[in-house]
Amino acid sequence: MTGAPSHDVRLEWPDGRTRSMDIREDETVLEGADRVDVALPFGCRTGACGTCTGRLLEVDESDPADAGRDSGAGAVEAAFAYRRRPRALKDRHRDDGYVLLCIASPRVDCRIAVGSSVHAELVENPWK
Amino acid sequence: MSDASIPDDVEPDHEHEHSHHAEGPGYATPQAAIEESDREKLAYVMSLYVGTDVDAPDFVAVVDIDPDSDTYCKIVDRIELPNRGDELHHFGWNACSSSCHVEGLERRHLIVPGQRSSRIHVVDTKERRNPELVSVIEPEDVYEYDLSAPHTVHCIPDGQILISMLGDADGELPGGFLELNEDFEIEGRWEPPGEIEMNYDYWYQPRQNVMVSSEWAAPKTYYPGFDLDDVEEGRYGRKLHFWDWEAGTVEQTIDLGEEGLIPLEVRFLHTPESTHGFVGAALSSNIFHFWRDEESAARSAADEASGDEPRAADGEGKYRAEKVIDFEAREHPDWDMPVPGLTTDILISMDDRYLFGSNWLHGDIWMYDVSDPSNPRRADSLSVGGTFGEVQEVQGRKLSAGPQMIQLSLDGERLYWTTSLFSSWDEQFYPEEGERGSVMLKADVDPRKGTLELDEDFLVDWGECPAGPARAHEIRWPDGDCTSDVWQ
Ligand code: FES
Repeated sequence: MTGAPSHDVRLEWPDGRTRSMDIREDETVLEGADRVDVALPFGCRTGACGTCTGRLLEVDESDPADAGRDSGAGAVEAAFAYRRRPRALKDRHRDDGYVLLCIASPRVDCRIAVGSSVHAELVENPWK
Repeated sequence: MSDASIPDDVEPDHEHEHSHHAEGPGYATPQAAIEESDREKLAYVMSLYVGTDVDAPDFVAVVDIDPDSDTYCKIVDRIELPNRGDELHHFGWNACSSSCHVEGLERRHLIVPGQRSSRIHVVDTKERRNPELVSVIEPEDVYEYDLSAPHTVHCIPDGQILISMLGDADGELPGGFLELNEDFEIEGRWEPPGEIEMNYDYWYQPRQNVMVSSEWAAPKTYYPGFDLDDVEEGRYGRKLHFWDWEAGTVEQTIDLGEEGLIPLEVRFLHTPESTHGFVGAALSSNIFHFWRDEESAARSAADEASGDEPRAADGEGKYRAEKVIDFEAREHPDWDMPVPGLTTDILISMDDRYLFGSNWLHGDIWMYDVSDPSNPRRADSLSVGGTFGEVQEVQGRKLSAGPQMIQLSLDGERLYWTTSLFSSWDEQFYPEEGERGSVMLKADVDPRKGTLELDEDFLVDWGECPAGPARAHEIRWPDGDCTSDVWQ
């Protein structure tokens, strides 16, 4: 066991299912979910494919590290530490609060939209 | 046929009545493959859950395609892989007809890479209906060679295996080639790093000492989905590279230009003497014919003799490429812009007479007579699935996407296809594909008349898999096929 601090992360699926879990600062959200047998979509685990994309819904207002912020790029930066560069996300995605859960470790308590449909939001049919 | 009476479960006897000149795998010539092969009875198909909420690993489906069997059109076995998240995509044999001369080698192991995970699986198909996973190369071991995103698997004529890799360890450019040894361990990088930036498919013609490779993009570019901004910023490929097969170095690069955007599947003719081939440019929806121009080859040989720079620039080299088929974008009332065909797969019949292909967005399977490769002549096409297809359901089953990966019987009389392209691209263009799963369909081909006819009795449905609807991608036959056999 490690003594790393942890945060309460609530995952919310589009069908209404939710699950709260403690995720340590030294593990990624994907690893933390895996540890308690919660399946999240993933592919490369290196921040290149976007399969694991989640969307930051809210950070805990009572957390002093992040008072007054909601979603968006600034909030993502404050809410997570990335292990490596999130190459699958473009600036516009980061601005919209998307986060790669395979390489992001929480720094505050937060709520995240998860499930494969979040990744599908990143890319639209360019001809339609 | 020589072994029509042998039941499926009996271990295949590769030597039976085949007039091999040697004891190795495959057939002595493309013509022998046509004449000596039995009808395909089983198909191995890449099947995937990656990117969906189905909590299950991707799998290799064993599909019964023997019309005399009780389980015809059914998935009769599933080789589950140990991990989720692989995105099984393309795969290949440890040996093909190019190793026909290598005694003791068998076409028996499938090399099954995960496109997203960079994990490489080895499946033993000794029991054809119940293949077994025998070993796994983990992603970290692949990243050590600064490579990721494995794509095309071909065997090298003496027992090794070569895999085109689309990215570096971080999913960025450049890609390269990874070589495995006969024991399915990483041998190392095949080429000196830095020969190419982008990579995708490749094909080699050993008798001509040439290999050709094509270009998709960096994994980080195409993995998340297709973005037109990336096209505008030049992040998608449009070049063909011609390699010295023995030396593993690029001899010539041809930029196909705007009309050759995203050149994907690349095929030489099967005849080992031939230097002609085709590549499908997916985004611009064109087919290019390429060939070795003997005159310019002679000229450049003279230049080399005179001490000039041997590596040729565009248009100066020994190979030439020319657009020979053009699929025009079509207007659709529900789409804002004309819809490109998106020519995602092509293959050449074993007798080198026909070029088949799929336009995934339009919903077309097409067939061209390429007896004269510089002047393909349209033979027939089928309008099925996709955005414009005339047939939108088979046996009451709604089709969710257009024809995508195609595979032809060795005798050229049956063309099969699946409907998934790449999970994130499927989500963009055909979101129903993930909800309903893919299908495998078939057309009967009359090579004499040059016609295609949809076989409405044939339907394999990945929508009915136990864990939930799955996508289906590349198809292979146990005895070799038109997209994996090469002759030495
Ligand atoms: S799993 Fe590929 S970016 Fe996270």
